[in-house]
Amino acid sequence: MASVAAWLPFARAAAIGWVPIATHPLPPAPIPKDRRKADDEKLLINVSGRRFETWRNTLEKYPDTLLGSNEREFFYDEECKEYFFDRDPDIFRHILNYYRTGKLHYPKHECLTSYDEELAFFGILPDVIGDCCYEDYRDRKRENAERLMDDKLSENGDQNLQQLTNIRQKMWRAFENPHTSTAALVFYYVTGFFIAVSVMANVVETVPCGLRPGRAGTLPCGERYKIVFFCLDTACVMIFTAEYLLRLFAAPDRCKFVRSVMSIIDVVAILPYYIGLGITDNDDVSGAFVTLRVFRVFRIFKFSRHSQGLRILGYTLKSCASELGFLVFSLAMAIIIFATVMFYAEKNVEGTNFTSIPAAFWYTIVTMTTLGYGDMVPETIAGKIVGGVCSLSGVLVIALPVPVIVSNFSRIYHQNQRADKRKAQRKARLARIRIAKASSGAAFVSKKKAAEARIAAQESGLEIDDNYHQEDIFELQHHHLLRCLEKTTDREFVEMEVPYNGQPKRPGSPSPLASPTHSAASHPGLLHACCGRCCGQRYQKHQRGATPESTAHDEELNDIQIRMQSNRSPPSEPTPDRLSRASLNQTNSGGGTGAGTGGTGGGGSASLVSISKPNSTTSSTMTASVVVNLPASYPGSEVEPTSPASPSASPATSPDQQPEVRISTL
Amino acid sequence: MFGGKKKEEELDEFNIHVARHRPEELAKLAKTTKFTRKEIQLIYRGFKQECPTGMVDEDSFKNIFSQFFPQGDASQYAHYVFNTIKHNHTGKISFEDFLGILSKVSRGSVQEKLQWIFGLYDLNGDGLITKNEMLDVVTSIYEMLGRSTEPQVDEHSAKEHVEKIFHQIDANKDGVVTIDELVEWCSRDEQILQSLDTLDTVL
Repeated sequence: MASVAAWLPFARAAAIGWVPIATHPLPPAPIPKDRRKADDEKLLINVSGRRFETWRNTLEKYPDTLLGSNEREFFYDEECKEYFFDRDPDIFRHILNYYRTGKLHYPKHECLTSYDEELAFFGILPDVIGDCCYEDYRDRKRENAERLMDDKLSENGDQNLQQLTNIRQKMWRAFENPHTSTAALVFYYVTGFFIAVSVMANVVETVPCGLRPGRAGTLPCGERYKIVFFCLDTACVMIFTAEYLLRLFAAPDRCKFVRSVMSIIDVVAILPYYIGLGITDNDDVSGAFVTLRVFRVFRIFKFSRHSQGLRILGYTLKSCASELGFLVFSLAMAIIIFATVMFYAEKNVEGTNFTSIPAAFWYTIVTMTTLGYGDMVPETIAGKIVGGVCSLSGVLVIALPVPVIVSNFSRIYHQNQRADKRKAQRKARLARIRIAKASSGAAFVSKKKAAEARIAAQESGLEIDDNYHQEDIFELQHHHLLRCLEKTTDREFVEMEVPYNGQPKRPGSPSPLASPTHSAASHPGLLHACCGRCCGQRYQKHQRGATPESTAHDEELNDIQIRMQSNRSPPSEPTPDRLSRASLNQTNSGGGTGAGTGGTGGGGSASLVSISKPNSTTSSTMTASVVVNLPASYPGSEVEPTSPASPSASPATSPDQQPEVRISTL
Repeated sequence: MFGGKKKEEELDEFNIHVARHRPEELAKLAKTTKFTRKEIQLIYRGFKQECPTGMVDEDSFKNIFSQFFPQGDASQYAHYVFNTIKHNHTGKISFEDFLGILSKVSRGSVQEKLQWIFGLYDLNGDGLITKNEMLDVVTSIYEMLGRSTEPQVDEHSAKEHVEKIFHQIDANKDGVVTIDELVEWCSRDEQILQSLDTLDTVL
């Protein structure tokens, strides 16, 4: 017995509290037409030699899976009276536990692919994996997918080489992946060499080599061998310019390329040379010229194309910007505080260096970073005390944020990758839960109408479909309970429209039963749909027609497969007639209006399959596994069945083009 | 450090075992309640599945109750029902309490049922149902309906309902309902007596 169903007697008993205040008398209890075996039977499942036993009702908690539906009969072994599966028994243990406890766990030591295969075989969606194991499962799945994608890409990459006809594409690929061809590799090393040469030249040209003629002081090599260095510089800049232009030509998106960091570095590296060409070696502008030369050092950043590590470092600093900012800010605060105190302590000393607070900044920085150059020292006692405190606190202030930044970097880096993923998952999950809740409500409404019709038919003694006998007593009683609530409060449950995004809307039209002009005869398909379909359903539905499709959504588990199912009509159908609420209330009056159906606007056959128990710790989520067959013109409340005229013999199997919503939620 | 010890004690409190409860013998329960052995077995299996420790606390009770009323919010009504079940000061109910109430309410005599109903509505247990108490309970019943009903539920629905009903039950018009007035009112109405019976459950 579904465990929550075991509490139904209590819920019904608690409903006695409604009796004194009920506005209408409560409907009579459902009469079980055919008592199913009161004893639940145990089933034997043999998985590759390991035997499992469980109650039948445990398995039937999830009728859209292999074990919960008729599909398991294919595996029944008549001689041994057991179900035999030639699958992995270790993983089967977890699958069976899912039926028992309602939570599917993912064992960490199992291979993800084999686990997925088992789940697919037994018709269980990976979405129902419990919260405790879900994140781990998704991470592993993502790694697997990335690995597969990388493999595929490299495969494609190898293939694509021959397919590149465009010069541009070839060049771009050569620039981005130097390992793809020898020419690219040569180019890569040549540019790297020239960057190194250029940087070295910048460094060496400032080294003194020899005395300045006619003047005191040394002569830097740059001025001694002016021509040599100039030629070297020119050569490097020509190479860099050529490289930049080639990249610009080959880039698939030129605007994006021009704005990228690397290209800006390239431009900054070569621009000083051209600007230097433009201005003559005049003393007036030589200051500016010298400044420009400083920018040549940016050429060293061109190495980041050659080094993955530099790129990662750059990304780190960018992502830790706030932490760095905090470090700088706290340092600035400390510097200002100590510099101020120091200044006021030392300002009256004769010949002091602490001439102003900004002058004291230098002392504070040097002391806090424990450098201690000694170019500025305090003389007074107060100054020395402050200086001592300053250096002690300097150690703390600097040492504290640094590990924070380091750990922040690691945390932020991983977290950013996970946060977006989790947000998307949560939104999808909430949407699914909302849809399931709405659909369970909708399921009740349509079932209720069918049940009412059945009861009325039963009271009037009319012939009913044989399928009816399989109606589960618990479902009957659950619906009876909800009807009692309706009667107590003089309200009726109506269907909610459930659009695709799962937000339930109020139905625009009143309940179909309230409008007596709604002739049932004009919508034959609806009636057939309601009565026959619902009658044919059991509390645990056996519907497995669409499981092969469930494997198709392996890429994005958040998708909900929605396929629409139209309603079918069973061969035998009582004459359509309207049944008013009043006649339903006449308990044993013989029912002058005869049999009929109440289902119109509800129309679509839907069933509340099972409500498995929630874990008591996750009080906010409801575990529900619902198969909802929505009417063909979903989401409208008016049902236009697509094929009313062709009743199919077996309502249990669904043709492929028919819509069906299959939702398993957490 | 001095702060550390307190933390340890707090952690220890968390680790204290959740109270486990083993119910009385099956035969004894079958004698004291109106259920057969088989029925008690079925009920217990479901009970234990939901509450492995053998005790139900109010939150899980509300949770379970809400499963049966998916459209609305059954937690307040569940709260009132929970309060009618005698429980010790830990705030949890054991299987015997649960079974006792179930037996009394679904299979007891009319007097027992009406007594339980009175206990449900009498929130403060003083033996009298005031209009406000009834309003609270009726509001919680209306909350179970949820949004999608016809006609829709608004904040006055419960009040109107209580206005209609209360003065009918309150025979001597003193503003409170006693157990006798309730029994009197229910016994007079044949339909109510019948309704009391329909809510028994076949297991």
